[in-house]
Amino acid sequence: MDVVFNRVGKRFGQRDALADLSFELQSGEMAFLTGHSGSGKSTLLRLLLLLERASSGDIAVGGRPLSKIKPSGISKYRRDFGVVFQDHQLLSDRSIYHNVALPLEIAGFTQRDVDRRVRAALDKVGLLDRERASPDTLSGGEQQRVGIARAVVTRPKILIADEPTGNLDPQLSAEIMGLFSAFNSVGVTVIVASHDLALISRMSHRILILDKGSLITAGDSQRGRG
Amino acid sequence: MSNQQSATGIGVRPRPPISAWFHHHRQAAQASYEKLLQAPASNFLTVLVIGVALALPHLGISIATAVQGQIEQLDSPPQLSLLLDGTVTYEEAARIREQVMRKPGIAEVKLVDRDRALAEFTAATGLQDLVERLNSNPLPHSLWVYPKANVRTAGLEQLQSDLGALTGVSQVILDSRWLKRLNAFTDLLRTTASVLFLVMALGVVLTLGNTLRLGIEARRDEIVVIKLIGGGNAFARRPFLYTGLFTGALGGVMASLLSGLALMALNAPVNRLFELYDQVPALPSLVLSDLFVLILMGAGLGLISAWYSAQLHLTRIQPK
Repeated sequence: MDVVFNRVGKRFGQRDALADLSFELQSGEMAFLTGHSGSGKSTLLRLLLLLERASSGDIAVGGRPLSKIKPSGISKYRRDFGVVFQDHQLLSDRSIYHNVALPLEIAGFTQRDVDRRVRAALDKVGLLDRERASPDTLSGGEQQRVGIARAVVTRPKILIADEPTGNLDPQLSAEIMGLFSAFNSVGVTVIVASHDLALISRMSHRILILDKGSLITAGDSQRGRG
Repeated sequence: MSNQQSATGIGVRPRPPISAWFHHHRQAAQASYEKLLQAPASNFLTVLVIGVALALPHLGISIATAVQGQIEQLDSPPQLSLLLDGTVTYEEAARIREQVMRKPGIAEVKLVDRDRALAEFTAATGLQDLVERLNSNPLPHSLWVYPKANVRTAGLEQLQSDLGALTGVSQVILDSRWLKRLNAFTDLLRTTASVLFLVMALGVVLTLGNTLRLGIEARRDEIVVIKLIGGGNAFARRPFLYTGLFTGALGGVMASLLSGLALMALNAPVNRLFELYDQVPALPSLVLSDLFVLILMGAGLGLISAWYSAQLHLTRIQPK
């Protein structure tokens, strides 16, 4: 599913969080979004998830202009996305299994499919043997892998990760990035926001660098599927 | 993505929307039921509050209805007393009795002889000395008129007016004022119970609404995640609606229990009161229909509370 930003601006009061931002991601492409704190990375992701509306310009996902999506259609729109958060956002009163199963329950999958998909996702991130555990009993890296399993369990068309390695050591960060690459390799469009330039530089994917709300560099993808 | 699906052989699409909707409801109902069991003490208190709030007006309406039923039975044969002129002889009184008997709506007329009336008065009051000092019997002959059962208040008043116009009749006494007062009292009781029900219902909505607000706040993180991963307000709201429904219905069961116990306790004193008026005791015990009504009312109020609370608080929680 391709993503097109066309002269997009987002203003909070007197401050421009994003200004005249244009870029295009092809379906199945993987891109890193980087820049300093306050550069507009999170705002861009929020616009993409329709947590905010653009102040100007147009955003289209899969050819569909986001400005045409009514508030009642937002939740359905978000089901095309998998989202990974820096702070994992796992629910501590549910087991790992039930955390990962939540998007499938929302989407209305049968229990049989939920079971098979959750186990497949947990297997993929190497946590199948911990499915009955509480998220609180896991390390930061394991929690992030549960978050990734939850994000990919519905086989989303676009996977978004906001600072997914923010609290992890370099080795775990590399493992997490490896997982994103693996999902991208089966056709999922992946957008990773990170300020860890050292890590990003080791990955051979497209890089979008933001500064003060403007796109200053859009490096070409070496493995993009466009 | 399609490659991955075909490679694993896992189901590729969710249930049809209507099937998913039913499935979500079943899941939400089950989750709400389990949540209720997780905190039995605090939920019991909420149920108790709802029970008391529903039981009080139900009790008031039950008693008012029972008393009203008894009054209607009392009301059917009220007695009119016709005091005849002091100059009317016993034979003339007998003729007036015949005249009254021919009037429509009359079931029976008894002629009370003035001498018998004085004797009864003397026996009842013990004022023998006083009566003996009288030169003559001051009481007139009188007629006790019993209207037919189908003659209601308005007809009685008309009858009172007609009988008062007969020659030889000095005064007609329709002793129904106490009935009117009792009727007014039971009307007041019924109205008070109805108003009490409305106030209590509002109390239930606000109390349960506040309890659910706390539940929504406690699950803020979950709601944020649900909204981020594609669950709408309806999905997030559903468990709270079931919590309101279940709590309200249990409150209805509690109200039935409290009301039934109160009616049992009140049964003896109320029946004694009815027996004083020669009435068959008839304070109702709790019947199955009351149970259904109270449970339905509790469930309805619970649902309204949950809807109100969810609309007010759930929509404000948005992912940041």
